[in-house]
Amino acid sequence: MSNKAKNWLGRVIVLAALIFLPHVIKDRYFMHIVVTAGIFMILCMSWNLLAGYAGLLNLGHAAFYGIGAYTSALLAMKLGVSPWFGLFAGGLVAAFFGFLLGIPSLRLSGPYLAITTIGFAEILRLVAVNWVSLTRGSLGLSGIPLLTPIKWGNWSFKFYLEKDYYYVVLAAAVITFFCIRRLTGSEFGVSLQALRDDEPGARSIGIKTTGYKLAVFTASAFFAGFAGALFAHFARLVSPETMALHTTMDILTMTMIGGLGTLAGPILGAVTLTFFSEWLRYLEEMIKLDIRPVVYGFMLILTILFMREGLAGILRRLTERLRGGRPVSKGERKQ
Amino acid sequence: MTEILRTENLTKSFGGLCAVKDVSFSIEEGNIMGLIGPNGAGKTTLINLISGAFPPSSGKIVFAGRDISRCKAHTANNLGIARTFQIVRIFNKLTVRENILAGLVDRRENGPWKLMGKAMFSKYFSVIDNEKACGEADRLLDFVGIGRYRDEQAENLPYALSKRLEIARAMATQPKLLLLDEPSSGLNPAELVDQIELIRQINRQGITILIIEHVMKVIMDISHQLIVLHYGEKIAEGDPMKVYTDPQVVEAYLGDDTDAAH
Repeated sequence: MSNKAKNWLGRVIVLAALIFLPHVIKDRYFMHIVVTAGIFMILCMSWNLLAGYAGLLNLGHAAFYGIGAYTSALLAMKLGVSPWFGLFAGGLVAAFFGFLLGIPSLRLSGPYLAITTIGFAEILRLVAVNWVSLTRGSLGLSGIPLLTPIKWGNWSFKFYLEKDYYYVVLAAAVITFFCIRRLTGSEFGVSLQALRDDEPGARSIGIKTTGYKLAVFTASAFFAGFAGALFAHFARLVSPETMALHTTMDILTMTMIGGLGTLAGPILGAVTLTFFSEWLRYLEEMIKLDIRPVVYGFMLILTILFMREGLAGILRRLTERLRGGRPVSKGERKQ
Repeated sequence: MTEILRTENLTKSFGGLCAVKDVSFSIEEGNIMGLIGPNGAGKTTLINLISGAFPPSSGKIVFAGRDISRCKAHTANNLGIARTFQIVRIFNKLTVRENILAGLVDRRENGPWKLMGKAMFSKYFSVIDNEKACGEADRLLDFVGIGRYRDEQAENLPYALSKRLEIARAMATQPKLLLLDEPSSGLNPAELVDQIELIRQINRQGITILIIEHVMKVIMDISHQLIVLHYGEKIAEGDPMKVYTDPQVVEAYLGDDTDAAH
């Protein structure tokens, strides 16, 4: 069998397994965790595009998530706009804010950029807290409409249960993955990685670094806003807390542990840590201690010290060893 | 022969320090122009000015008949000026071949937004699967003699080879003028000979070269013309042998007490 056929077969098998998952596991609580993991997967993929591929350490990513969630929720509640349209509107409004945040990033780098982005998210959080007439302040918006049923002749699909949302999030995650794969594997992506590795070097080969930074901020924010809108219609509750720093830190931890700057990293990280933190919640109730931040911090340190490529790197080395032969370098793998 | 680059009264000061002062010179197309001078003479600053890394305080740079004094670095490159750096600036996390692929992207026609659109909507998007680009990249890598390292991560290259990668990357942008900032620093004598040969070969392809060099043997060997900077000012220019024996140049390098040499 040719390599291409093998690739396609692999994809079809994985996709079929994912489609059948809700028919195998009927536990609603479990499906809830899976959907949450899926939403975080999209968030992590979008953050990874910025931080992993373009080297722009955005610590205000939760703001894009919140903007997407509030936009779609408000459109549906105040104007009666279809939530399906809201998913894209949420992405577009977040993309606009992404472009705005991209502007200061042209002059800032490293820790200065990180601090500015934290400030950006904090401002938006405070706006959401204080603009009570629109956002109901820290109470948050509740009773956000569900996704409207899809009708096709006599056939219709309603969105009530976790498993219904599972399919929406699955489709969204798959679409996001292929978009990000295109963005990072293309001439655009190579240019991003070039400016991440060396800005003056990138400029010297004609890369307009300012334009690339704006473009990648916009694209990344779009997907984060999209994830936020999905979350709004799934959880049916959005509060200013969504935009707090701890959400960004969750995204960061998941992506770093999964593997920063790799395609598989955000997926592995989001799934692993969402399930792990549910397990930790059990543990916390048993020992009556809030240990999650401590465990996360410790895992992050270990990742940075001992496995820079995260879970994705471990997985790669494992598959290479199984195939036999010496460990292969990054480029040869792509042959 | 026609002139490809000209500077007129080029001056750059950082605060009170005048790094380049009133420098006027021109390079003819197809030539190798050597740029020498003691440490701190302003050689690298001059290259930074021409390549658009920062704007001049005053004066003018004319490239192929066009005033580029205010051009940014990426614009200068799009117009046909490529450069290497004194301390190599390669893309460490990319593979050797990807370094070249980044340089091969046609940026004269494609800005970031357009490339983003292409990535999303074109049928073939992957640079790694683009046989034409990869073939071109491999040809360049073979040309500078590092073809067999093409799949290595760039940061794993030994220093001498990373300098070659940087030259190949600059060549990938198809420049008319190549600025080389100390291409032979840190090389051993054998590597030095190869490097000189490489620079000659690039020049034979019709690419004009401006080269900063400390190793006198290299500079005397390959340059058609020489220009000497001292404390930011041009003190001599012209035929290498004539410049070499110019009393002002000797003074700049050895100090003014000529009796001490006896």
